[in-house]
Amino acid sequence: MSTFSKRTLNVNGIDTVVHTAGTGEPLVLFHGAGTVDGFDFTVPWTDKFQVIVPHHPGFGESADDPSVDEMHDYVMHYLELFDALELDTFHLVGLSMGGYLAAKFGVEHCHRIRKLAMIAPALMLDPEHPMLDILALSGDKVIGALVKNFDALKPRLPENPDIDFIADRYRETTSLARLQWEHPNDLKLPRYLHRLKTPTLIVWGAEDRIVPAAQAAAWRNALPDVTIDIVEDAGHLVHLEKPEVVGRMGDFLGA
Amino acid sequence: MSDSMRFDVMHFMPYVHLPDNHKDYVSTWVDFPNKYYDPEKAHGLYQQYFDQLALADRLGYDAIVLNEHHNTVYSMMATPNVVAATLLPRLRRARICVWGVPPNFMQPNRLAEEYAILDVLSKGRLEIALPLGTGMEYWANSVSPVTSRERFRESLKIMLQAWSEDGPTTHYGKYFTYRYLNPWPRPYQKPHPPCYIVGTGSPETIELAAELGFGYSSVFATQARAKELNDTLRERAAHHGFTLRPDQLPLLTFVYVAETDEEAEREYKGHLRRFYEDFARSTPQWLAPPGYISVEQLKIRAAGSDRLHGGFDFDHIRDSTFVAVGTPERVANLLGEWAERMGTNHLNNVMHVADMPHWKTTKNLTLFAEEVMPRLGAGSRETAAVGG
Repeated sequence: MSTFSKRTLNVNGIDTVVHTAGTGEPLVLFHGAGTVDGFDFTVPWTDKFQVIVPHHPGFGESADDPSVDEMHDYVMHYLELFDALELDTFHLVGLSMGGYLAAKFGVEHCHRIRKLAMIAPALMLDPEHPMLDILALSGDKVIGALVKNFDALKPRLPENPDIDFIADRYRETTSLARLQWEHPNDLKLPRYLHRLKTPTLIVWGAEDRIVPAAQAAAWRNALPDVTIDIVEDAGHLVHLEKPEVVGRMGDFLGA
Repeated sequence: MSDSMRFDVMHFMPYVHLPDNHKDYVSTWVDFPNKYYDPEKAHGLYQQYFDQLALADRLGYDAIVLNEHHNTVYSMMATPNVVAATLLPRLRRARICVWGVPPNFMQPNRLAEEYAILDVLSKGRLEIALPLGTGMEYWANSVSPVTSRERFRESLKIMLQAWSEDGPTTHYGKYFTYRYLNPWPRPYQKPHPPCYIVGTGSPETIELAAELGFGYSSVFATQARAKELNDTLRERAAHHGFTLRPDQLPLLTFVYVAETDEEAEREYKGHLRRFYEDFARSTPQWLAPPGYISVEQLKIRAAGSDRLHGGFDFDHIRDSTFVAVGTPERVANLLGEWAERMGTNHLNNVMHVADMPHWKTTKNLTLFAEEVMPRLGAGSRETAAVGG
């Protein structure tokens, strides 16, 4: 187990922060549409992997990129970042919106992904079980819907959110709105998911109020090689509520 | 424009029949359920409001001012150009100001055409404002608040091109493509009707008005802030080579006149309270959808006291914003003083608020026209054509 070191890379004009820890095969985490939940859940993986946690432009510690207006801009961003990091192939983990980004990356570049794990991947078109439109809700409602057991998230939140905390959330929601305000769903992704042949594990909290776990069926139907792990008594941030799933994901990626 | 004062009447045309349980709703905007909208009652309200504005025209007010809001009881003018066209035959001489349709919710050629038609129909009595639209409108429309300012600038460029240049012309932009920009009709006024930018004072909007040499009207700013904005605008306009005339800086005021100060306050206060507490009741989320303002602006606004949307302290509001309530003498003195301080000769007066009954509104309009206007240097105008 080791501590994370941080560096900032200029990726096509955008200062991009990358946290890295551990040694072993590289494992990249694509975080979700917010950074308030933190990335320390990845620490157990640092025993076996070199864990690489970049912050997306417009989120966390990375700079804004106002030219972003669709998810494919992030695919291009990561192609450039991976060049800069001299990463050829790697394991990829995507959380929520980061899961969708991982799938988007994977349908184009799946030969670079050794294994893929997704936690409650968002933005799948599933009219029968639509995801919560988090852009329509106030921040406190979204945060309240992130977990089943609020104790899992509470220590990560400020007791009395100040204006800086609120402004940080506004900035990240703005970055999400760049992608999603006018087109909340990617209508074309399902059509291309069959190209993502990488062995994939999807972990999902059974009581996810952001992205219903029932959407797992759509992923199962679309992906050629997928294992679904539904976890009882947990919500969207299943990895915080049930830390044992982090170990199971590590086992899957390392096997 | 001469040195004499210009008097406009702005009307929000609120839907006043709020349900008894409306306080159960944190906001009367965006998601306030439209099951509470009764078309029969709305029909009656339109008639009443149109009567008030026709009266204002007969009393000698210089202009009628309309604007656009969506999903709210605050205003029944989701499409103010429809209202303007309906109102026009009832106005004999007043200008009609649509202040205005946010271009972001229209195709810009289509908006240029609607305004041109109104200008032709009114023989050049149209004035327009080009607002970005409040944050609330972005929850109601299918346009991203994140790119709203960029799209707004492009829309304005297209509209000005459509009016100012002989067509057909072309436009190849980020948000719009026009292979044949060639609208029929064209505005009656050349090159186009007088234009204003309306806003709450964000630096981007001020700069845009300055760049284009347009008038600017700040809305719901404190006296100190409004003065600051006007000064900044004049300075920035000069930087871009424009000298703004006083009438290009209309001052938005809330006005109520009665026989005594006490009577005016007694008759008015409750309606202004309802305006703030019920009709303008919104939430921080509705006011600032994602990307609508910069993170820096969000912090500035959070630090400042935004007393419009949802709180009411009459003395504070009267003393810090532009609310003139009292005898004709008191109201005239206040307005004269404010106009001088703000460097304007153009008053845009809200004379009906919230659930103010018809009789109070007609009394207010009449007393103001007969007793306040002459005190403010409007002695030579034609007045008192009531009943004509």
